[in-house]
Amino acid sequence: MDRVRKPRIKFDRYLGILFISPWIIGVLFFKFLPILASFGISFTNFQLLTPEATQFIGFENYIRLFHDEGVGYVLFATISLGLTSIPFQLAASIAIAALLNNRGLKFGNLMRTLFFLPSIIPGVAIFFMWSGFVDPNTGWLNKILESVGLTGFNDLYSSGATSLLFGISALWSVGPGMLIMLGSLQGMPPEIQEAAQVDGAGPLVRFFYITLPLISPAIFFSIVINLISIFGGVILLDRGNGFSGGFSPYDSYVSYILFNERDLGYAASLAWFFLILVMIVVIALFSSARKWVYYPDREA
Amino acid sequence: MKTSASKSWLAPQNFISFQTWEKFGRRALNFFIFGFLIVYLFPMLYMVAVSVMDGPQLADRNAPAYPARHVRFEYQGQSYSVYKVPFENEQIRQLALIKPGRTSSEFVDPANPQAGVIVWNGNWRKLIGVYEFHLTFENFTMLFNYPPLGRMIQNTLVMTLIAEIGVLFSSIVVAYGFSRFRLPGGDALFYILIATILIPEKVTLIPTYFFFVRVLDWNGSWLPILLPFFFGNAVYIFLLRQNFKSIPKDLDEAAMLDGAGPFRILFQVLLPQTWPTVITISLLHFFYMWNETRQAALYLSIRRDLAPISFGIQNFQSLAPIQNQLQASALILMIVPVIVLILSQKFFMRDVVVTGMEK
Repeated sequence: MDRVRKPRIKFDRYLGILFISPWIIGVLFFKFLPILASFGISFTNFQLLTPEATQFIGFENYIRLFHDEGVGYVLFATISLGLTSIPFQLAASIAIAALLNNRGLKFGNLMRTLFFLPSIIPGVAIFFMWSGFVDPNTGWLNKILESVGLTGFNDLYSSGATSLLFGISALWSVGPGMLIMLGSLQGMPPEIQEAAQVDGAGPLVRFFYITLPLISPAIFFSIVINLISIFGGVILLDRGNGFSGGFSPYDSYVSYILFNERDLGYAASLAWFFLILVMIVVIALFSSARKWVYYPDREA
Repeated sequence: MKTSASKSWLAPQNFISFQTWEKFGRRALNFFIFGFLIVYLFPMLYMVAVSVMDGPQLADRNAPAYPARHVRFEYQGQSYSVYKVPFENEQIRQLALIKPGRTSSEFVDPANPQAGVIVWNGNWRKLIGVYEFHLTFENFTMLFNYPPLGRMIQNTLVMTLIAEIGVLFSSIVVAYGFSRFRLPGGDALFYILIATILIPEKVTLIPTYFFFVRVLDWNGSWLPILLPFFFGNAVYIFLLRQNFKSIPKDLDEAAMLDGAGPFRILFQVLLPQTWPTVITISLLHFFYMWNETRQAALYLSIRRDLAPISFGIQNFQSLAPIQNQLQASALILMIVPVIVLILSQKFFMRDVVVTGMEK
């Protein structure tokens, strides 16, 4: 015992700060200060090429924002993307996870990996594959449809072809969500299902009244992930431009103002407006979680 | 329990044994999942097929889906394409086109070249060619002979190595701080950590971009891309913290009694038990760096010689007059390492699951 040098509690606090100091510095310089600076910039006519000519212009950028038709359009597009892709991804990831959770499944690990695989290949490759695959002249989709006797798509940008393309490519990013659901399903004690079965609950009743509430934390986490990627953020897996983050219409619009018009002031006000919207949605989501997300330890 | 005994004849196992039922169900399930998987991954096969196709095939509407080329026929020292030519008596003959014309063309029968020239009336462009299965690996050899490719791969690997060192070291140290020390502000700092994940990228991007490019003049360098990794990544810190927390504190205390300092406890007691998570994180970060194009587009578009392979391949079309086939083979070159990595180890999938589980 003579080798104990100092009581631990004494320098605990300062040592802890020392250990997390890289993160504190990072958060200050790459998150907080830039966010504040963005706020300041949003009240100026700051231009990338002529920073000297910057002037304080008050709420002019925000007034412009509310009159900008482009903002309305991309906001609508972002919201409709969220409302279509999030439920679709949730349903698909639960369905695939439920399939893979089956005890009779052969090569379970390999199957899981193969379903996950499209989620880590580069966005550039996915774009290439899908646009080639559905190409009206030489793509395989039309060839398959024609060989079965159906008529193929003449125009790639026709609504049918595009929604098919987006639907299946959304299916290609279910990887992380699917794994989260699968983990949750596997963590579920089998006794609960068995007890319900003995009580006479059919498979559908068991799914909606037992399975779904039990995996609700995973559903919540999955919604948060999807929401952030639609808002142009990055969680878990980023596949590069043009697919995960760059997929957000609002995000692309900010990029356009930033790099094509080089109007940093207006871009900053757009970004801040979006930050507020995102925060409202996130806070609403987290406070709604108390009502529908099941945490076993809270019951006690 | 009288009722169950008297009704037992209703149970399916009396007609077909339960084992048979179960076996059948399993077969059907495996069959269904396997079929679904094939449909799911089908576009990948498309890319593989394109990468071994000849140049003109993608532009040819009538070409088959599989890699193929025109059947050709040698006639009097020259090579001609073979077409399916319809004749009035509803007969379709496979003939080699010798002299194309808008209203009438001249053909030769490959099966019977001695018969001489056959004249056919009609537009030869409406004829459908005869194809045979044909693979070419020319795209890959062309790709490997394309000088910037090696440099782009090298750029990616060097950047990834630097970023991995930075992000792993800083995230491990910070996660240790979060999991083993009582911090002022308690859980508040941890909630801030989680909240930073939710901030949209563009809000922080505008001042950061201006600062890096106009104030520090770092445009066209790796610094603005790599520097932020040395301050930890919130998702990785979160993952590691969960793992450290699951290791009993008794172990630390035992090591402390033996005279180990905090750094030794971290690297010799805690870290050896979290290798799977460390591997998962380094893989996640490898995938991120390997696929990353956004930051590269921001800071490296004026210095193409420093650009990573992801950005390079995305801009292949503008860099050189390159065909789709070549791009497909380049993309395959990018996908193969990722597939090999993920199939070759077993921790990754499990830990991504854990990320979503814990709270």
